[in-house]
Amino acid sequence: MAKISAMDIYKLLPKTNCKKCGESSCMAFATKLQNKKATVEECPILKAPKFEENRKKLVELLSPPVKEVWFGYPDKKAILGGEEVMYRYELTFFNPTAIGIDISDNLPEEDIKNRAKFVEDFVFERTGEKLKLDFIALRNASGDPEKFKKAVDIIQKNTKMPIALCSLNVESIERALDTIKSKPMIYAATEDNFSKMLNMLISKKNNKREFALILSSNNIKTLKGMVKASLEQGIEDLILDPYTKPENISDTLDKFVMIRRSAIEKGDKLLGYPILGLPINTYMYVLNGNNPIKQFIEELDKAAGMMEARTANAMLNRYVDAIILHGTEAWELMPILTLRQAIYTDPRKPQTVEPGLYPIGNPDENSPVIMTTNFSLTFYTVTGDFEKDGVTCWLLSMDTEGKAVDVAVAGGQYCGDNAKNLLEETGVRDKVNHRIIILPGLAAPARGDIEEKTGWTCVVGTRDSSQVGEFLRKNWDRILSEWKNNNN
Amino acid sequence: MMDFKELIKLVEKTGRVKIDDIKITADEIAINIPTAPPLKIPQTPAMKRGLMRSKPPEELKIEIPEVDWEVPINKYNGYIREVQLGRPKSEGGRGKVIKIGGQRALYRFEDVQPNAPVVTFDIFDMPMPGLPKNIRQYFEDVMEDPVEWAKKCVKEFNADMVTIHHISTDPKIKDTPARESAKLMEDLLQAVDVPFVIGGSGDPKKDPLVLEACAQVAEGERCLLASANLDLDYKKVADAAIKYDHNVLSWTIMDPNMAKDLNKRLISHGLDGNRIVMDPTTCSLGYGIEFSINAMTRLRLAGLKGDEMVNMPMSSGTTNAIGAREAWMVNPEWGDRTYRLPLWEITTGLTMLLSGVDIFMMLHPLSISIVKEFGKLLTSKPKYMETNTDNYQWIRA
Repeated sequence: MAKISAMDIYKLLPKTNCKKCGESSCMAFATKLQNKKATVEECPILKAPKFEENRKKLVELLSPPVKEVWFGYPDKKAILGGEEVMYRYELTFFNPTAIGIDISDNLPEEDIKNRAKFVEDFVFERTGEKLKLDFIALRNASGDPEKFKKAVDIIQKNTKMPIALCSLNVESIERALDTIKSKPMIYAATEDNFSKMLNMLISKKNNKREFALILSSNNIKTLKGMVKASLEQGIEDLILDPYTKPENISDTLDKFVMIRRSAIEKGDKLLGYPILGLPINTYMYVLNGNNPIKQFIEELDKAAGMMEARTANAMLNRYVDAIILHGTEAWELMPILTLRQAIYTDPRKPQTVEPGLYPIGNPDENSPVIMTTNFSLTFYTVTGDFEKDGVTCWLLSMDTEGKAVDVAVAGGQYCGDNAKNLLEETGVRDKVNHRIIILPGLAAPARGDIEEKTGWTCVVGTRDSSQVGEFLRKNWDRILSEWKNNNN
Repeated sequence: MMDFKELIKLVEKTGRVKIDDIKITADEIAINIPTAPPLKIPQTPAMKRGLMRSKPPEELKIEIPEVDWEVPINKYNGYIREVQLGRPKSEGGRGKVIKIGGQRALYRFEDVQPNAPVVTFDIFDMPMPGLPKNIRQYFEDVMEDPVEWAKKCVKEFNADMVTIHHISTDPKIKDTPARESAKLMEDLLQAVDVPFVIGGSGDPKKDPLVLEACAQVAEGERCLLASANLDLDYKKVADAAIKYDHNVLSWTIMDPNMAKDLNKRLISHGLDGNRIVMDPTTCSLGYGIEFSINAMTRLRLAGLKGDEMVNMPMSSGTTNAIGAREAWMVNPEWGDRTYRLPLWEITTGLTMLLSGVDIFMMLHPLSISIVKEFGKLLTSKPKYMETNTDNYQWIRA
């Protein structure tokens, strides 16, 4: 489907250029709407009855080909879908894949509580951003509706995490729905329990219960039929599970692509829903003795964690909107969270900081000068480390067009000419009584060029910014006095 | 005048009553009319649902309707070139031949993917400083001897290809002369029968000389010369490939237009387009991998659309991932590095694989085995494998 143009949107706006939305003109507002930087509600004129028709058309026009579905609490929710494009370079991907961790209702109360709290508290900080987990997938391992309900109570008493209720047993889901305080995601309506599950859900819906429902089938055509039937019953917050097959994950990935392509490129509204992936199936498969990497890792739980992460990361590259994991080790979750952060970074926003001179701590004329890049990931990693380690220095951020050190050295942006300009523009020579620049370890190949062009002495520092504190404590006084001896 | 009781009786009897010309005079009237049986009117679904609310829900059978749907297959006007690495014995070569590229569609459900992605093992002509311990553990015994190193990759880890990085040729390291590198190259070619990627040290002046010398001793073996780029004498590298029958890695920095520009220059210099593999640069997971995703995706799509200047197979220097602090650093909060390091490389590799990359330069044998296996699955024929696992087993596990 062709992407809508700002002109298509403009035609439906009041065209009064009243500026009440905060934009200079209706056309400017249209462009913002097109890029999802504004919402239709921000135009007060459109609320007038005579624009009702246009407003409706606009909402329809702007609604994404993949429906946005949420669950959880109004102030703490997991949002799935809402996507517009097949490739992130075309615009951006909007709602980062929600990551859930399973909890079995067979666990003792204390364990349920602890695992739930673990999920809520887990955080991995990168480049100034806190990367977190999004929901708890409570699974009805006991098969007992009463135990299931009790586990819901334990979780919602101790945490404020969105919950996915996972059971094929309609009675269990019903019991849980009666006790749960948030809007849950329900796993799942299947081909086998479809009619019974929907009947129960219809009656709950009539009693004002809110929920999002996962439809599950190995067959995309069946899934599409299930969507149609659900919509006819007024159940509209849907998610699709086309099965996760641990033996042949490429089958699963193909289905993800087919569903998303049908929705976005072919305009198939009945498949325009978020997709659920189950890396946990890979985990269980390996744990059951199918260990394809036993040459390297014999412990089944570790191998399962590796293979689960591999499935999760492949799915992140193939449109998955929510995943359920079993493994909770930091080494497994870190790459998954980092990849999600990367894929959902908005390519329209520059990944750079302002080049220039940044005083870190309270530097004086004897403090070292350290030169990094203006790639924001690098810059925030460096400043974060310096802060943690109490480093005091003059930090130069070179305009490398937002490239990391090694890439910028290879690409020729981290070079003598740029260093010379930076030194001149920032006037750092007046701030210090030496002419020494400390370079990152990865910038060693650029050292000669920088010394030649700037006339400053370059010292190649450490490979990683976390080692700079120790490096300076051990070496800086010596480096400085040697330089002074040689240059006075 | 009419008695209300009589009116009610009438209603009960007939179900309806029509009163014409009625006049009521009273200060206050209260009329209680008993419910009349409902009129029979055709019921709409909305009313059915309305009734369900008041009565205990009578289960209605909800069927899954038949709907139309077709597998969304796209048409592609272009194709990806197929590049051959190695020379078969029948043509006087050492044996193993690897082909990469050759796709005519993005996904295997659209068209057969002719060649599985390939992983080539990195080895170095001197012990690589700073190689993390959990990689060293696999190669400690052979790191002093690149020939043994190559043999170990092939024998123990089933390597399809090997990449020799002549890092010691760097004037700032050992400044090993090009003819010595060529000598090593000869020994390597004799030791194993897999195709080679030949890499320099990254020194723009020295690399073309090293690559040329190695290309000469490997004449006809269809190696991949790594690399030609805009910072060095790429014509010299192309000439070596043309003269001695090799392929060229065309390396640029994450800019599809730059990749196109370099390919054009190589082709107009006389290099056959089917002898080019592109490396648009792999940024590690966490260090700009999203830029690489975009660059690879755009190049692959442009190639399939028919742009013959960018329809070459792509290469990824996945080993870069090991340089990420999250991979190598010892940090108890980040969990065991034994698993974290390969997973960082695997995640980087898989992401590049799913963005279209055909050949991977990697280090950790575990990472290599996972990426290779995944590549095989992605290029297998759909439904070649029976799957019997229960999608719902995890709920009760």
